[in-house]
Amino acid sequence: MSKGRVIFHVDMNSFYASVEIAERPELKGKPVAIAGAPEKRKGIIVTSSYEARAKGVKTTMPLWKAYELCPNLIALQPNFEKYREASSKMFSILYEVSPIVQPVSIDEGYLDVTDHNFGMNGIKLAEWLQDKIYQELNLPCSIGIAPNKFLAKMASDMKKPMGITVLRKREIQQKLWVLPIGEMYGVGDRTEEKLQKLGIQTIGDLANHDVVALKQLLGINGERLHTRANGHDNRPVDPDAIYEFKSIGNSRTLPHDTTDQLEIDSLLDQLAEKVSARLRYKDVVSENIQIMIRYHDRKTVTRSRQLRDFVEKKDEVFMIAKMLFDEHWNGEPIRLLGITAQDLVPKHELSKQLDLFTYQEEAEKEKLYQTVEDMKEKYGNDVFIQPKEKTRPNLSTSFQKDFLNDFKKDKRED
Amino acid sequence: MKLIIERNQLMNSIQHVMKAISSRPTIAILSGIKLEAQQNFVKLTGSDSDITIESTIPREEDGMINIHDVQPGTVILQAKFVSEIVRKLPGDQVEIESDDELNVTIRSAAAEFKLNGQDAEEYPQPAILTTDNQFEIQADVLKNLIRQTNFAVSTQETRPILTGVHFILEDGVFELVATDSHRLASRKINLNSDAESVSFRNIVVPGKSLSELNKILDDHQEKVFVSVSDNQILFKTANVNFHSRLLDGNYPETSRLIPEQSKTTVSIKSRELMQTIDRASLLAQDNRNNIVKLATMPNQLQITSHSPEIGTAEEKVDTMSIEGEDLKISFNAKYMIDALRAIDSEEIEIAFTGAMRPFILRPQNEEESILQLITPVRTY
Repeated sequence: MSKGRVIFHVDMNSFYASVEIAERPELKGKPVAIAGAPEKRKGIIVTSSYEARAKGVKTTMPLWKAYELCPNLIALQPNFEKYREASSKMFSILYEVSPIVQPVSIDEGYLDVTDHNFGMNGIKLAEWLQDKIYQELNLPCSIGIAPNKFLAKMASDMKKPMGITVLRKREIQQKLWVLPIGEMYGVGDRTEEKLQKLGIQTIGDLANHDVVALKQLLGINGERLHTRANGHDNRPVDPDAIYEFKSIGNSRTLPHDTTDQLEIDSLLDQLAEKVSARLRYKDVVSENIQIMIRYHDRKTVTRSRQLRDFVEKKDEVFMIAKMLFDEHWNGEPIRLLGITAQDLVPKHELSKQLDLFTYQEEAEKEKLYQTVEDMKEKYGNDVFIQPKEKTRPNLSTSFQKDFLNDFKKDKRED
Repeated sequence: MKLIIERNQLMNSIQHVMKAISSRPTIAILSGIKLEAQQNFVKLTGSDSDITIESTIPREEDGMINIHDVQPGTVILQAKFVSEIVRKLPGDQVEIESDDELNVTIRSAAAEFKLNGQDAEEYPQPAILTTDNQFEIQADVLKNLIRQTNFAVSTQETRPILTGVHFILEDGVFELVATDSHRLASRKINLNSDAESVSFRNIVVPGKSLSELNKILDDHQEKVFVSVSDNQILFKTANVNFHSRLLDGNYPETSRLIPEQSKTTVSIKSRELMQTIDRASLLAQDNRNNIVKLATMPNQLQITSHSPEIGTAEEKVDTMSIEGEDLKISFNAKYMIDALRAIDSEEIEIAFTGAMRPFILRPQNEEESILQLITPVRTY
């Protein structure tokens, strides 16, 4: 690279709550939380406004606890349709700045503005962008400016809400290395625990630690974290990264620990339904189903099965998940269950080896397939588009990324 | 126990019984070879509890003395070590001696090994097959039957019964059927009239057992006596007893899977078709089901394949005749090649009933009753 890149990380501040507040100005300055099932006190906080956070309200906290900390909390049911719409508008503004936008989730994305700065310096451009999003959408965001994605991400986190932070490589010792290791992007609870055993308390400790020891502890990720902690990250801002989904998973925490077979089955059934809806929505099929069981003591196991055939239907996903569950559940109370479909293949790249015992199903449609095939030969592959349900699958937060697909598709057709 | 035995004969027997011995045995004693010395023969046994192989070395055979100087007795020897030791011993003869404490000494020329033996009492007895269901077949014929069917068994444990070959004997007709639910191989022969008194329908022999049996049987006309009971099958030659457990469960009814009518019938030289498909599959190996497409043309078949990122292959191959409707069908090239190899006939007939239905391959001359069925691949 001849000259340094300029990367923005744009992070919307308490996005769902901000969208609600933007719509209902009377909520401004009040503690607002978005929570699943707010009519029931056992709902879980998805996000909250800064006013609520000041009182100690945190994401994933049960609602009853949040009320204890903040009795005048206003809890609202999430409306993902609305958030998606706001998100899509937000990304449109980012595209006005640079075509090199990589959406990461519903409320954050990277921008490469190296060659798209309108003659402004980074800070001026960020101020302009932040102001535009605020003026047009009434939504606050924080922007991190840095020579690479990792530093930009860390920078956007440093000042919230409505912050603009520049993190230059030469500043990492003062600004980055002093942070506790748990705040480093890419370091989860588990990794933090492991690193602390090596005596690593801050990002600086990590940066100065022996790579070999880190590699032994965390494998390739150890090396990667070490590189990042030293301020290096050469990943490009990749507008297509959002397409490279490797798996589709849903999980749910139970309102109470359970060993009740009926309750477990019903949850598995619901999860299978969601995973299957998302598979259909993305036009992919899966060849590997994984389940996750988290027990009352937070011990978590994942087990997966490589399949002979592709699955997409709810019943198929459920059957495999159930089989895995029966095989691996140790009988202890369960807190969380998850199902993930892995090894995804786009349907159009697919072929299906028919089965001697069940081929009749396909054979009955032989004529239809033949006609489709003939038409494709004549008119090209696009003559038939599988009718897709117009309505999106019933959304929950983990659908965040799915919708970005739509956004990107829309964008491409421009 | 003490004996002196010809090393080659011993080695040959050890190699036979080793085929049954698992590297990870379910019970520890099965990592051993049972060696039983009698005045007139020495018998070796190896087992993994699914398969048990007994190999007998007669004292005298075809005018050759195999065993010299015997004091009868039985001992269990560690299979892994004894097979390597005997293979590398320097002399033509081997002396094996075991004392009351089960200390075993193996001597050959100037080499001497002392091994710890185990008590033969602990070795499980192979189930003795008491049955009238016995028939005989030539070793080379049986080997061929196995070769023509066993490749089609399932390697997946999802339907365990399909990991075996279905044996049926009725009215003197012996039939083997194997399917992994994607393709099916079937082979029938007429046994001699003695077999007419014997019949069975639901015998399923594990594919793995048959592969091992196939390695042990010699490719000549030696007789093999086959006896079956509810849960065991025994293949018996002059010097080898090969026991196998049978698979539990009912084999699915497969005769109904074989289409009776066809809409398109192609006669073609087997070798040319095989080579064409083999070439086309070079570009199909990358796609998941190893798919090649076949399309009928006037007096020809067009074989194509493509991999999105690599390229395409196309080749036309002459037929001897094509009758019936035009057809385009996709299938796994490997299944086709396996089937053509199994049929091993100069000219074959392929009978199609539609692009989403299984098709049949048979030799052109109906002398051999062999049939291969392949289910196509649906492309999207």
